[in-house]
Amino acid sequence: MDQLSRARTTTAEDAPARGGPSGGVGVVAILTGTMLSLFGMSWDIQWHEDVGPDTFFTLPHLFIYAGSAVAGIASLVMVLRVTAATKAGRPVDPAAGGTAVGVFGKTFAAPVGYLVTGTAAAVFLFSGLWDQVWHSTYGFDATIASPPHVALLVSVAFTMMGVVVTCAAAARTTWGRRGFQLSLAMLAFYVVVPLKSLDVFEGGPVNAVQVGVAFTTATALVTSAYFLRDVREFVVVGLVCVALQATLWLFSPWASEVYADSVGLPLRDIVSPSPDVPSALPLTLLPIVVGLAVLVAASRSRGWSPTGVAPLGGAGVGLVVALTMPFQLAAVGQEPPQALGTTLLTAVAGVAIGALGGFVGVRFATMLRTLESSAPLTAGGR
Amino acid sequence: MRTPWLRTAALGTTAALALALGTAAPASAFEPVEIVHTERVQVGPYPMTVGFSEWPMRAMHSLDVTFMPEGGTAGRSGQVELLLDSAESEVEPLVRHPRKQEVWGLDVYALDDPGAWTFKFTLDGPEGRGEGAIQAVNVLEQPGPPLALSWSLSVVPVAMGVLFLVVAWRRMRPGDQVGTVLAT
Repeated sequence: MDQLSRARTTTAEDAPARGGPSGGVGVVAILTGTMLSLFGMSWDIQWHEDVGPDTFFTLPHLFIYAGSAVAGIASLVMVLRVTAATKAGRPVDPAAGGTAVGVFGKTFAAPVGYLVTGTAAAVFLFSGLWDQVWHSTYGFDATIASPPHVALLVSVAFTMMGVVVTCAAAARTTWGRRGFQLSLAMLAFYVVVPLKSLDVFEGGPVNAVQVGVAFTTATALVTSAYFLRDVREFVVVGLVCVALQATLWLFSPWASEVYADSVGLPLRDIVSPSPDVPSALPLTLLPIVVGLAVLVAASRSRGWSPTGVAPLGGAGVGLVVALTMPFQLAAVGQEPPQALGTTLLTAVAGVAIGALGGFVGVRFATMLRTLESSAPLTAGGR
Repeated sequence: MRTPWLRTAALGTTAALALALGTAAPASAFEPVEIVHTERVQVGPYPMTVGFSEWPMRAMHSLDVTFMPEGGTAGRSGQVELLLDSAESEVEPLVRHPRKQEVWGLDVYALDDPGAWTFKFTLDGPEGRGEGAIQAVNVLEQPGPPLALSWSLSVVPVAMGVLFLVVAWRRMRPGDQVGTVLAT
């Protein structure tokens, strides 16, 4: 991939007038796609817990496929639009997915955000074929930790990561920041699904799933805390997470029951005691976000170095996640109470991995800011 | 310029969704449970037939297992414990099979390891508690390629994502710019 020089810099006045690709519609499309994926995934897992029977074309499966299809097609369209504009010498707004990079030589000019989203969606497609091969060999399964399922889940996570990048590139606009808040909350939420596959390490000295959740939560929160200039906008990320969690908490069992009724299937004799995916996200997320916001605001006003404060904040996030999750999962009936020794060791691991998440997160924030800085304001600006 | 592009994108997306939804109806029928092999077991005072939708069983290959006590499941409850050489044990409650409601069952169930498994039953009913077992249910080796090969295929998306992050990290060197970039 070669960095392309921009043919022209777009200004607030000429971008809409010349008809160069702008980012708003594309962002709405890929956000819609990833939202379908998130809801479909939570619904599908709940379906298996509460009802059971599976085919390739259950409605929750269609949500998942449609999510990646919408995100992938929208990304392809945006890449083609930017390529056409670049070749015609028309202005390209870097807010439309970030700086364009050359793909296949310079055949295509792909905004980096859409490149990630579209590539991940394409990988999802191939992973789906791989899943079909797997099912023809092993029969249907309802486990997360099968090789093709992990490939599918990870490709959806990278699709969502591409949406975060796309929105970050447009963060000088209001819609870009709102998209960033929503996409980052969705990503932080969604990754608990592939992390469930870490339960293959069950019985070890630490709870590997919770260590994973500590890392991804710390990374996502520190990234957004430092990327967003206004800590109040970071607090909104926490509120969006809570809203998504509450919505899916109600939606997943409800949709499973309604769908089961519609196809004439009964619920299992023993259903999940609480919604499976929503209960895997820390219920303490909002207090964690507020605490991190206070730390970041204080460090900014006092001029403390982000490189020092971010790992500290990440460690705090990791500690709270690792300490509270076993109690949360026991309280909602998802898991039996965890041994105290395991919880304490997991907390130690949570601090270390959370600090690493903070270290990485502040650097991700820097990379995203760099992407955003290259994007001048457009008419759809602040 | 903008309108035709958007129209094409919208039409393409709609067509893809319509195709998926249109083909969903005939493909969405849930397969019935077809028992190809049965075993009889005496669980205390309760005779029971255990049915398998695949036989012989193979490790990691999912199947339906049904449990049919004589006289039906009404007023009875219990559990089945699946044991492999005392080293591996899974306990499942006896509940109605989701696609064959008149019997208890395990749906799309798979045993991960080959070997001689024991199905140990505990039943409670009008005639009290009963226990019984089917010994040495032979589970063959897993089908398909070695698991390591399957996992290596699935690492591809992870590797692609990590490679992207590494390349972006090396080009942007964010550690050198944290102070200046985040100060804006």
